[in-house]
Amino acid sequence: MLWRASLRYLRHHPWQLGLALLGVALGVAVVVAVDLANQSAGRAFELSSEALTGRATHQVLGGPAGVPVNWYVSLRREHGIRQAAPVVEGYGELSREPGRVVRLLGIDVFAEQPLRASLGGLVGLEDLGAFLSRADRVVLLATDLQRLGVEPGDSIGLELQGRSRQLVVHGALEPARQTDARGLADVLVMDISAAQELLGREGQLDRIDLVLDDSAAVARVRELLPPGAQLVEAESRNAALREMTRAFQLNLTAFSLLALVVGGFLIYNTMTFSVVQRRPLLGMLRAVGVSRRELFSLVLGEAVVLGLAGTLAGLLLGYALAHVLLELVTRTINDLYFVLSVRELHLAPASVLQGVLLGLGMTILAALSPAREATAVPPRAALSRARLESTVRRRLPGLVLAGTLLAAVAGLLLTAGRGLAPAFAGMFLMIIAWALFVPWLMQLAMRLLAPVLGAVAGMPGRMAARGVEAGLSRTSVAAAALMVAVSAVIGVGVMVDSFRYTFSVWLDSTLRADVYVSVPGEAPLAPGQVEALRNAPEVVGSSTARYVRVVANGDRSRLRVFDLPAELEEGFSFKEGNPETAWRQFRLGEAVLVTEPYAWHRELAVDDRLTLATATGEQRVRVAGIIHDYSTSEGAVVMHRNLYQRWWDDPDVDSVALYFTADTDIEEAGNRLRAATGSDPPLQFRSNRELRRLSLDIFDQTFTITQVLRLLAVVVAVVGVLSALLALTLERSREYAVLRATGMTPGQLWLLVSTQNALVGLVAGLLAIPLGLVMATVLTLVINQRSFGWTMQVLVEPGILLQAVGLSLLAAVLAGLYPSWRMAATPPALALREDTG
Amino acid sequence: MMRRGWAAALVVGVLVVMAAGWLLHQERRAPRPETGDAFSVTGVLSGEEEARGYARVTGPEPLEFPRDHGPHPGYRHEWWYVTGNLTGPDDRHFGYQITFFRFNVDPAAPERESVLATNQVWMAHLAVTDGDGGTFHHAERLSRGAAGLAGARAEPFRVWLDDWTLEADRDDRYMPLRLRAGHDRFSLDLVLDAVKPPVLQGDRGYSRKGSDPGNASRYFSFTRLSTEGVLRLDGMDMEVQGSSWMDREWGTSTLEEGQTGWDWFSIQLDDDRDIMFYHLRREDGTVDPRSKGVLVEADGASRLLSLDDVEIESTRYWDSPLGDVSYPVAWRMRLPAEGLELELSARVDDQELRTGFRYWEGAIRVRGTADGGPVEGVGYAELTGY
Repeated sequence: MLWRASLRYLRHHPWQLGLALLGVALGVAVVVAVDLANQSAGRAFELSSEALTGRATHQVLGGPAGVPVNWYVSLRREHGIRQAAPVVEGYGELSREPGRVVRLLGIDVFAEQPLRASLGGLVGLEDLGAFLSRADRVVLLATDLQRLGVEPGDSIGLELQGRSRQLVVHGALEPARQTDARGLADVLVMDISAAQELLGREGQLDRIDLVLDDSAAVARVRELLPPGAQLVEAESRNAALREMTRAFQLNLTAFSLLALVVGGFLIYNTMTFSVVQRRPLLGMLRAVGVSRRELFSLVLGEAVVLGLAGTLAGLLLGYALAHVLLELVTRTINDLYFVLSVRELHLAPASVLQGVLLGLGMTILAALSPAREATAVPPRAALSRARLESTVRRRLPGLVLAGTLLAAVAGLLLTAGRGLAPAFAGMFLMIIAWALFVPWLMQLAMRLLAPVLGAVAGMPGRMAARGVEAGLSRTSVAAAALMVAVSAVIGVGVMVDSFRYTFSVWLDSTLRADVYVSVPGEAPLAPGQVEALRNAPEVVGSSTARYVRVVANGDRSRLRVFDLPAELEEGFSFKEGNPETAWRQFRLGEAVLVTEPYAWHRELAVDDRLTLATATGEQRVRVAGIIHDYSTSEGAVVMHRNLYQRWWDDPDVDSVALYFTADTDIEEAGNRLRAATGSDPPLQFRSNRELRRLSLDIFDQTFTITQVLRLLAVVVAVVGVLSALLALTLERSREYAVLRATGMTPGQLWLLVSTQNALVGLVAGLLAIPLGLVMATVLTLVINQRSFGWTMQVLVEPGILLQAVGLSLLAAVLAGLYPSWRMAATPPALALREDTG
Repeated sequence: MMRRGWAAALVVGVLVVMAAGWLLHQERRAPRPETGDAFSVTGVLSGEEEARGYARVTGPEPLEFPRDHGPHPGYRHEWWYVTGNLTGPDDRHFGYQITFFRFNVDPAAPERESVLATNQVWMAHLAVTDGDGGTFHHAERLSRGAAGLAGARAEPFRVWLDDWTLEADRDDRYMPLRLRAGHDRFSLDLVLDAVKPPVLQGDRGYSRKGSDPGNASRYFSFTRLSTEGVLRLDGMDMEVQGSSWMDREWGTSTLEEGQTGWDWFSIQLDDDRDIMFYHLRREDGTVDPRSKGVLVEADGASRLLSLDDVEIESTRYWDSPLGDVSYPVAWRMRLPAEGLELELSARVDDQELRTGFRYWEGAIRVRGTADGGPVEGVGYAELTGY
């Protein structure tokens, strides 16, 4: 019978019900979608690394020159180490699927059996001879071939290092293991010799995968390592790669939780409202002998049903949304970290379960207080709302005190340590703390505003302000929900702006040359090309760069090698260290520089030493300075060309920066130089403007997902406000009816209700500004710094704040349109009657 | 209370549905073989049904040493085939085999820049028979013949695949040879020295196998190599000595249509005579008339044995544990003109190499009479195409 009563109530308030459902659904959807996207990316990474690592326990990674083939041969021949497989790898794009990166994997089929059985099985390939001896044979997963619509014998185009290559599909790979069948997607398997030739790496290997059974074997290989090479555990290398994306994915998760928090406010709002509305009914039920506990479970039960329905809808919605997010997540990982092919959405049971628990948990948590309230209804008493309002007002000091305490805890969490999780926890506490202040601040604002509005709009104005205050239990929750959402909009917006601003300032100071020349797809220029470029008549200055990976303090690190004229040094800005002495030592090869993220991740300071595994043995070098750099969150060591030459004896150059005479037409000069340098390898010329634009494009692409989440938070907030204001207006039907009965015209009433709503929106918007700014600061200076290691300047565009307040107002007014129209349109008598029923 | 029961049932129901979903979502982990097809000699050669592009053996040609100890990469296949019978402590008998096979897998292979590029594929088989213990151990290795991973050279002589090597013990001469190879539980380190000069098989080394003169191989043998060194089995090093046999053969096509395989025997008698003889078997169960062999006297003089000179009769068969093949493992061999009546029997029945290229290669015991008096010997038999 109780449930029938519940049902009847909910049926009579479909708007209320629908909006609450929508709130939960949206919150859950965002959380589930982000988690599914993250999990899918993670799963794809796992599958591919499992398939590509196989049974390898260790890997030998080479220095800039790779691992010499001879070393590998001697490993097998002189030392009898047979569970070893050489690998040469590169990345390109299939002409049929431009924009999608594929991995070119060069292997020796005869060495694969102990490591990657699915590739070792290729020894049984039909016409293995041609696969080995021809330079253009490639094998792909049968499923990939099917997707591409090609068959063995067909040729496919591959864009690699700026050149188009025609490869012949030699056969289809049909691994028996599921892991391999999925992990090898978008992998082009070639014979190692063919891969070497395609990538221009004859004579060298990128790495050697090993199965080493015991520590003696590990020690033996370590002893044999050629200079500059490193023996790493395969697992830990994968883990290190995975770790790079962790901060990024954690950030996404935190944003998604924000949406859920806003959703929680909605539930609270709906349930409280339903309890208040049914006070007479609840009182009656108590009078006929229904116990407090039964009432408590009734309200909670309603919430659970609501939460379940909303959660289920949220799961479906989240599943759909996840497809969009997955695309964005994958693109970001590919842009910023490493090549990852994600073809499918992995429906991780844990993600779904987590979504359900969060949705239900949040619902129950939000419904606890309304449920308790329901039990407080004494038998037979149809308590007035006034009692509730007075309760709320009585609780105000307590709320403020709790808020203060929470804010203090948040401050501690945000300032102590290096961890990312405490920082997020601190941020969430901060939000809740501020939300707890909202009722008190609302009250304050209304008391201040009432006389002002009274002066401007007379009686109705004062009534509007008083009305908001009088419905504090309802309005403050609506305002808090709106405020949290709007502050997220501000916080994320300011963070992205700050980041973009800092990034573009850094780009401007770094990209000073007129033209940058490189080979597309990571390959060195030919020595003759470098000469021709640097000695061209229109070139007045030039610098070269080499990008490699070396072992520093036992970690594989990016090393950037610059051949830099002294006058170009100002392009770098120092975070720590004395630029003058640092540059002098840099030029003399006495010291290196490290980028800020590098120093952060490895806890390095100026004057610390780095131990580098070089081609001439281990070398120790001092860190003379820490420089700002936003190109990679992984960080890099920066070294002068001379020192690099001395330690690695590697003449290769990956990029040349050219400075032209003042009167040079950059485009013309580019064309001239292009003709002079030929196409072996083909070069790409990019002006600083182009490079800057490309960099910012990538930046914007990276933040697309952040913007999408931000937008979702706004949608949830608008829904929240809609439901809160709807509730508020409906609840006051009787009050308004009295106003109408006493002579207020529908237009006046509409104005009154709209003003009330606008007030709520305005206050929420204004209150969102301080929180938004704090959030922006926390995101920029704490979260981002701890996630990626770089510091940024906080840039607040006034526009963003205006936008936020405007958004808030607009949301509130829009949300109030229907209820106020409905109120104004209802004949007073009907409204009066309805209220008593 | 009914209401609470209802809510609880709902929650439980949802959890059950989710758990079921999860279970269904788990990948089935039925044990499946991880590998594709195994390497097969026919597979590696299947690209060229015909011998076009390869060098051919079409008639007798003078062999030239040391050049012909080295590789002949233009021919489709080639091998260095060593088998031997050894005696360890307490007269314990061992047999061993090491074979280095070379294949040219693409005669029209283009010139390439990478040092790893090649059309040469190497396969090596190593086997040890513990005649007294009744066990047989074997291993197979494959490698590309590039960058020094596997290969052969004439001078100083060496043939190798990874760390399995057969090489001249001294830089300035071919003999003695040093053989070093091991795998997991067994290894060999032997020195082999020729007791007799090499014997050219067939017609001055031209061993014709079919009707087409090009269906032939170049073939010569060291029929008796004194052997000593160390054999390691299951962690035990044993001093061993005995005698070995080495075949060198290369060509482009051996079997022709209608021929299914061969039974090949090498025998070293204690009167210092050595015998090689093979039957080329045909699909119809008959023996190809081109089957032949050689008899080498104690002083190294040799004469050709034709099909009519040798009678071979299988007296016992053994079934492979894989169940699909039955090999003969004991024979009666008569060479009336030489006054020899011999009983051959496998030291261990199961000496089948169950690798990508499956065949039976095993040590045999030889007992019988020579001109009425007792004679004994050791040997190896090779049975292919079963």
